[in-house]
Amino acid sequence: MTELTLYEEAMCCSTGVCGPDPDEELVEVSAALDQLESEFEDVEVSRANMQHNIDQFLETQHIYDLVEEHGPSILPITVVDDEIVAKSEYLSYDELAAALETTTPTQEA
Amino acid sequence: MSTTHTDAQAVVEPTSDETEFVFFSGKGGVGKSTVSCATATWLADNDYETLLVTTDPAPNLSDIFGQEIGHEVTAIDDIENLSAIEINPDTAAEEYRQETIEPMRELLGEDQIETVEEQLNSPCIEEIAAFDNFVDFMDSPEYDVVVFDTAPTGHTIRLMELPSDWNAELEKGGSTCIGPAASMEERKQDYERAIDTLQDDERTSFVFVGKPEGSSIDEIERSASDLDELGIESQLLIINGYLPDSVCEDPFFEGKREDEQAVIERARTEFDADAMATYPLQPGEIAGLDLLADVGGVLYDGDKATVDVGTATDIDTETAVDFESMADAEMVADQLQPGDETRYLFFTGKGGVGKSTIASTAATKLAEAGHETLVVTTDPAAHLEDIFGERVGHDPASVGQANLDAARIDQEKALEEYRTQVLDHVTEMYEDKEDTQIDVDAAIANVEEELESPCAEEMAALEKFVSYFDEDGYDVVVFDTAPTGHTLRLLELPSDWKGFMDLGSLTKGAAPAKGDQYDEVIETMKDPDRSTFAFVMYPEYTPMMEAYRAASDLEDQVGIETSLVVANYLLPEEYGDNAFFENRRAQQQEYLGEISNRFDVPMMLAPLRQDEPVGLDELRAFGEEITGLDDVTEETEQEVTAS
Repeated sequence: MTELTLYEEAMCCSTGVCGPDPDEELVEVSAALDQLESEFEDVEVSRANMQHNIDQFLETQHIYDLVEEHGPSILPITVVDDEIVAKSEYLSYDELAAALETTTPTQEA
Repeated sequence: MSTTHTDAQAVVEPTSDETEFVFFSGKGGVGKSTVSCATATWLADNDYETLLVTTDPAPNLSDIFGQEIGHEVTAIDDIENLSAIEINPDTAAEEYRQETIEPMRELLGEDQIETVEEQLNSPCIEEIAAFDNFVDFMDSPEYDVVVFDTAPTGHTIRLMELPSDWNAELEKGGSTCIGPAASMEERKQDYERAIDTLQDDERTSFVFVGKPEGSSIDEIERSASDLDELGIESQLLIINGYLPDSVCEDPFFEGKREDEQAVIERARTEFDADAMATYPLQPGEIAGLDLLADVGGVLYDGDKATVDVGTATDIDTETAVDFESMADAEMVADQLQPGDETRYLFFTGKGGVGKSTIASTAATKLAEAGHETLVVTTDPAAHLEDIFGERVGHDPASVGQANLDAARIDQEKALEEYRTQVLDHVTEMYEDKEDTQIDVDAAIANVEEELESPCAEEMAALEKFVSYFDEDGYDVVVFDTAPTGHTLRLLELPSDWKGFMDLGSLTKGAAPAKGDQYDEVIETMKDPDRSTFAFVMYPEYTPMMEAYRAASDLEDQVGIETSLVVANYLLPEEYGDNAFFENRRAQQQEYLGEISNRFDVPMMLAPLRQDEPVGLDELRAFGEEITGLDDVTEETEQEVTAS
């Protein structure tokens, strides 16, 4: 079982479809996460943003430390199991898939 | 206990050992507070342990009971078994915000906290905080009955509608647009129980209060059918404030009385409720336990109403304001006419104050004066078609008068336009990313699903609203805006979105051109040389307070100052020559004085008419009776002869 967690800045709506124009990055990452979750059977995806899930920031020490030191500009942080694979930017589908493959081989592999 | 059994009585009385909940719904100024106070008093007098809850932002329970109440449950002095509480929705929202922000203080700096605070300053948060208050009181086993004097209809409906949406969102596991999902999750069961109780017609009664006016009944029918879709049945309709037979002695008021009776008859046959009750207009405001007992007796025991017209007015004519002198026609006309740039006129106010008619009349007179004019309604329930007697569609088109076009926002069309725009954007975005392994169809389907939210409807309406600022070729654009609360949301949203986009641009690339467009719209609305905000009301307590509150919100939240007030439905001097109407007139005059003091801006005065004006001829004629509108045409005529 692999956990993919995305720590994100405070926001109203993480889908990106909530405003005059869709937020391209958020739309893309939402779609990517959905697809990864269905393709990798053993991967559990979760998202935490500072406005809705502040508890997760307070309880996860290494995330807490990073945000305290650098401020929220360090977000988003992508974590696969306990390892930080990206900071300050969203990864694309391909990058996320690659990060998962290094830790968990896909079913077929 | 009373021996007369009425249907209305059966609706509000508890039917079992469980607490009964009675909700009063209706627009401001229809006497909803009075009726809820009378109902609570009647229930207490009949030995039920009763709690009265008001969430009115400008409550007047203390005037009605002659006692300070406030936001703690307070026993009412001279009535056994009755307690009341006034919940301030603004304070509730602020508390909710602070609870949400508190844990973030540990991790975020002052600046960042401020940004989050700004984000949380949204209508959504106000909704959720208000609903929380409802839920808190829906678990009150110590009372036999809890009577809710709820906020006005539209607001109530949204409160009812949202929880089902929230639950749907929470089940999907997604975050919502309305607050910290975690804290919502904790209360999910409370919400569910509240919704169940609301839908249980054995335990919950919905009562609509309205005036004997066609538009009032139409609005109630719309609200009732909205509730019906949510599985909530409306059980009682109370029509309040009909003209008593004995005081209508001339054709003007006799005619009005007949119209009212026809409306009451129509409501009796058409409105699908278990019961209906009526209460007459009184010469003064309803306050004090005697009058409350009279209202309760008439509604629930089938008693005959007492209308004590008194002898003459007890208002000191020396201190009463001469309102002709308060109306400066030239100053009003200045606020309406365009300068070198297009002028935007916003007629705003709660439904039922005659806003559409005033806006249409002003637009007609401005067009007559030679200004290219567009009148737009953003109110889904607007009746511009009835007023002009011409078709009024989504796109601006002539309504017969030279220089005058009209349009109305069609919600469904606006939503469709917005959906298409978003989906096109997303599709295009993926076209540029050919090398991705992403399943584009699935991604687009996701977005499509997200567009089924109430948020999307709001955005769609906003988009359309903003687009009217880009209409070319008009000297004047007159907005007959939606009811005040809704308007505020529309107007507030541009600032909110602007905030979101600025915030987003710090971390997520440049803000799109949309931000600039909204910026410009807000700047235009804030500029008194280009925009005029006119609050329409009639001179009574609740309508005045609602308008004043909305005007303060506009100023505090968006930075827009009100520059005109329209006092509508002034009783004509030439009819109603008896003590009853003299008392009513004196009361109107008192409130006109208070309106003038509170707002301190030029006033447009418009008389009560026997019938609403229909068609251009009647609109033109009506315009001549309204302060300032005649001057609009006169000035142009002078200019024309001078040149």
